[in-house]
Amino acid sequence: MADHQDMPVPALSLQGIDKFFGAFQALSNITLDLLPGEVHCLLGENGAGKSTLCNVIFGVHQPDSGVMFRAGQPYQPLKPHDALTAGIAMVHQHFSLVDNASVLDNLLLGQSQGWINYGQQQQRIKETLQGLGLNLDLQVKVSALSVGERQRVEIVKCLLRNPSVLILDEPTAVLLPAEISALLSVCARVANQGCAVVLVTHKLAEIQRIASRATVLQNGRVVTASTQPAREIDRLVRAMIDRPGQTNVTAPVVGDPQARRYTLSEEVLQLDGVTVRDALGVTRLDNCTMVVNRGEIVAIAGVEGNGQSELGAVLAGMLPVSDGQIYVAGKEVTGASPQQITRSGVGIVPEDRHAVGCITEMSLTENLLLNHMHHYSRYGFLQRRKMRDRAQALITRFDIRAAGIDVPFGGLSGGNQQKAVLARELTLESLVLLVAAQPTRGLDVGAVAAVYRHIQDARDRGVGILLISSELDEVLAVADRVVVFYRGKIMGTSLCGQHDRTAIGAWMAGQAA
Amino acid sequence: MSHRVIKSTTVQRRADPHLRTLLVMSGAIAVAMLVAILMILSVGVPVSEALAAFADGAWGSPYAIGASINRSLVFALVGIGFVLANRARLTNVGGEGQIAIGGIAATAMSLYGGCEELPYGLAYIVPILCAALAGGIWGAIPGWLKARLGTNEVISTLLLSFIAVWLLYWCVQSVSLLRQPMTSGGTLPESLTIPDTTQLPLLWSDSGLGIHLGLAITLVLGIVVAVIIQRTRFGFSLRAVGYNPQAARRAGMAITWTMVAALAIAGALGGIAGAIMLQGDQYSLKAGFSSGYGFDGLVVGLLARNSITGVFVAALLFGFMRSGGINMEMVAQVPAALVLVVQAIVILTLAGSAIWLSRKGVKV
Amino acid sequence: MNMELLAIFAGSSIRLAAPLIIASTGELISERAGVLNMSVEGMMLTGAFLGVAGASITGNAEWGLLIGVLGVIPLALLQAFLSVTLRANQIVTGIGINILALGATTLAYREMFGARSNAVIPGLDKWSPPLLRDVPLLGSEVLNQVWLLYLGLLILLLCAVVMRRTALGISLNAVGVSPRAVDQSGLSVTRLRYGAVIFSGMMAAAGGCLLSIGNIHTFTEGMTNGTGYLAIAAIIFGNWKIGRTALACLLFGAASALQFQLPLLGIQVPTALLIMLPYLLALIAVAGLMGRQTAPAALTQPYQR
Repeated sequence: MADHQDMPVPALSLQGIDKFFGAFQALSNITLDLLPGEVHCLLGENGAGKSTLCNVIFGVHQPDSGVMFRAGQPYQPLKPHDALTAGIAMVHQHFSLVDNASVLDNLLLGQSQGWINYGQQQQRIKETLQGLGLNLDLQVKVSALSVGERQRVEIVKCLLRNPSVLILDEPTAVLLPAEISALLSVCARVANQGCAVVLVTHKLAEIQRIASRATVLQNGRVVTASTQPAREIDRLVRAMIDRPGQTNVTAPVVGDPQARRYTLSEEVLQLDGVTVRDALGVTRLDNCTMVVNRGEIVAIAGVEGNGQSELGAVLAGMLPVSDGQIYVAGKEVTGASPQQITRSGVGIVPEDRHAVGCITEMSLTENLLLNHMHHYSRYGFLQRRKMRDRAQALITRFDIRAAGIDVPFGGLSGGNQQKAVLARELTLESLVLLVAAQPTRGLDVGAVAAVYRHIQDARDRGVGILLISSELDEVLAVADRVVVFYRGKIMGTSLCGQHDRTAIGAWMAGQAA
Repeated sequence: MSHRVIKSTTVQRRADPHLRTLLVMSGAIAVAMLVAILMILSVGVPVSEALAAFADGAWGSPYAIGASINRSLVFALVGIGFVLANRARLTNVGGEGQIAIGGIAATAMSLYGGCEELPYGLAYIVPILCAALAGGIWGAIPGWLKARLGTNEVISTLLLSFIAVWLLYWCVQSVSLLRQPMTSGGTLPESLTIPDTTQLPLLWSDSGLGIHLGLAITLVLGIVVAVIIQRTRFGFSLRAVGYNPQAARRAGMAITWTMVAALAIAGALGGIAGAIMLQGDQYSLKAGFSSGYGFDGLVVGLLARNSITGVFVAALLFGFMRSGGINMEMVAQVPAALVLVVQAIVILTLAGSAIWLSRKGVKV
Repeated sequence: MNMELLAIFAGSSIRLAAPLIIASTGELISERAGVLNMSVEGMMLTGAFLGVAGASITGNAEWGLLIGVLGVIPLALLQAFLSVTLRANQIVTGIGINILALGATTLAYREMFGARSNAVIPGLDKWSPPLLRDVPLLGSEVLNQVWLLYLGLLILLLCAVVMRRTALGISLNAVGVSPRAVDQSGLSVTRLRYGAVIFSGMMAAAGGCLLSIGNIHTFTEGMTNGTGYLAIAAIIFGNWKIGRTALACLLFGAASALQFQLPLLGIQVPTALLIMLPYLLALIAVAGLMGRQTAPAALTQPYQR
């Protein structure tokens, strides 16, 4: 550790930062320093507060208490303009580029005055790009760019301002491997030139490559930090996912996984060469072939962003496949509507329940019966009594805690919302397959245990379960088979009882077995 | 962003939304009244005289009350349609045109559709149904455009509204369409008077109120729509699509049909409004038939804040205000345009405070 | 149809299109910035009245124009305040302001001039471009227009240039597509949008002045009669591009001019149909039957950080 007197003045210093959104505390007593010339990784799971922290630094939100210093001077940005003036630039997770304008116009936004001499500007920017070792076609419209290219534009936009602090919020979430390499090189280069680079991520490979220091956030607090992240990966990962009051993260195992009550040959889900290409032509699922049998839990493991979301959306009937077929219990459902898929006996617990899984403004009862309404109406009229009874039964059975059955769904805690969605899907008529995507994300210990209990119950009843989750430890404890996805391809399958963490880890990082 | 949500018990202390609505509405009306009084003074008319004329025209005699109520029926129907479409987050701005198209259909059926000979009851019901159909089509078109092409329904309903208004103008200008036969150069551009059997009968005909059957029709339709929204599967789909179309789609609801139906029903209600205005009040189709009623009905729908009861209250308010304003102009020489200014102030105040009013708790 | 009739037709088309061109240029800037001003109608009416009032009081039409354009600013500020700061529904506030303008101008006109007025009001002069004014027919009929039109065309050109080649233009375009990008680039979404709305109001007022002190040298209650909405329709038809919008206005002007022209040719087409035509065309455009519509992505959406 360097002598205190020799420590350079931090480019940015945060002390005791708190941030509340109403009654919810997003950040709690955050204290951290960013030094010039370092690449500082900010780690944490989804919901840990990383984005909020970045937004506070960038002036999008103001902290409720605590102070910030920029190169030793008090720093209180009220808006992004203030942050930019102070030499802080940020590349956001959700790009904010102007689609119908050219790359050049996007780069000039906020950076030019009055009349624009296009020739001159283009020249100037080209020189800067060369200095950074980057390449961009300045004339093309942003709408025609791929995701990786758009991000490059965002980064260049920031670098053109010559910032002293550069924040990148989950930059690699949507990039291809080659693009990730390029990005990390740029970060290293920029840091070498004296900039303090903050890399917000939950991906471990990146930490290993370029991090000088790392800080871990969980539930809005700093739980640990490291000055040698590459060597302390395990400790950092533990800190990210360990929940307070729980020493291990394995889910309770109910019943003997070895004792299967159904023969393996009863397939409930069959994917045959399924390929999905998104609107920009990027392949999200690549020739996937796999099966799920009755009474078995198959887990899709892999770092988020490797095709899992697309798989969930395809199975829900919300995303069309570009190639291949899907069969549920022997019947083809490729291209079927969400309603048809539900009627085939598929229950879906979506990754982002607020987007497609529930309607927060409607009541708990209505959400519990959202996709079964045809059972509760007669001649077009809703059968309120029948709805209430059914809702009450589900609430009791799944232990959903709510102030009443008619409260707005948005008022429930995350865990109870998830239980409600699970309750709805698990009690579908003739359910043969349950697809659960990131079912325990953002939930506390008790809720996690409850979720897995219900899933295992369903499995014991003969339902096939497709569990998509990035919580590797949980998955390994529950699944009969683990299928690893990387960049939309199936890298390998590991069977129950023979889970080889090394092999799985290698597949998750993209190395073929 | 985190998936944690606030429990309803930990909401910050804020004024109850109903109290806030009341505050804003009273504030708006107070300001509007103040401005009105100032304007009356500036015109040089004694305030008491102006207000007396207003009161007289609004509720001063059974006839006045009846006229006010008849007017409010039109506002109410458009407002009800607006509220229904609004539940699905669709804004129907085409009330004026839907009234016009309903008026055209009802006139055509009453005069030339053979309704005169129909048995009692059907003679005036059939034109209303035709008006509903015409209005329904006028509303279904923007609904389909929105569901299939994502076309902003505000723009499409507005454009169709203008088209319908000018269609009406054409109909009453052209003898080959609905214009009365021209006996001289000075024959006004309007249709013939519709036959007696197609005119809506009066309720309580001896009271001098002059309120026609449209009142019953409107009340019934109001109740029907309220029931549809709260108690039917269609209403459930409406609300689901309005709150979260993606989740509704995932839950198997037919988004396209819901949107088309919502705007079609709103249009049909507008058409019915046109029919009862024709068959209950005007008895013939004239240019400028729907003038101002559509937008006023829209405002009534907005002020009602999604409640059918609110629609009736606001509609009555506007109905009385319009009658009062007309009389104020005739008797006290205060231009009826003053009423417009008052309405505008109320609208703008409510629109401006909408964000403040809709905060129930805290949004993360 | 002989040349003289054609020239008269062309001249009428331009004359009828002129207020639309001016008003829609302003509104286009506002919509490109993401704010839909349904109140163009009300602003035009206000401008028309203030122009007449100002001209009458000062005895000079140009002063009237100035008063009209400046006098509408408080109204435009109100629209901006409601739409941008209070984030109110832009449709409702637009309609509200239209009703307000109708009521207020009617009242004010009655006050100033009495219900039926014969006051002589100075009007704006006509003007022809110097070299062409002596060309027969072209100079006397087609190009002999109220000078305000030419100023309006100049401003239109200026707007096109600003949008393409200045930092302001980039920012305005950006704030209508992605206000977040603008905010994160350190610019002020509020200031940009306020400016756009005020500009739109001033241009609408100028268009209204053209109607009142330019064309008929008087004010009649509710005289705009839907022209403001036509300007919005022209923008839709022109797919939010400056040049195309101007052409759309010209097309709409021609459709209106047909009302007077066709009878001269002995062709009887109902006036109402011709008046309806622009709206029908706009509807066809909006239904996507004329190629994809590319409205600014953030149009009508208030921005909150």
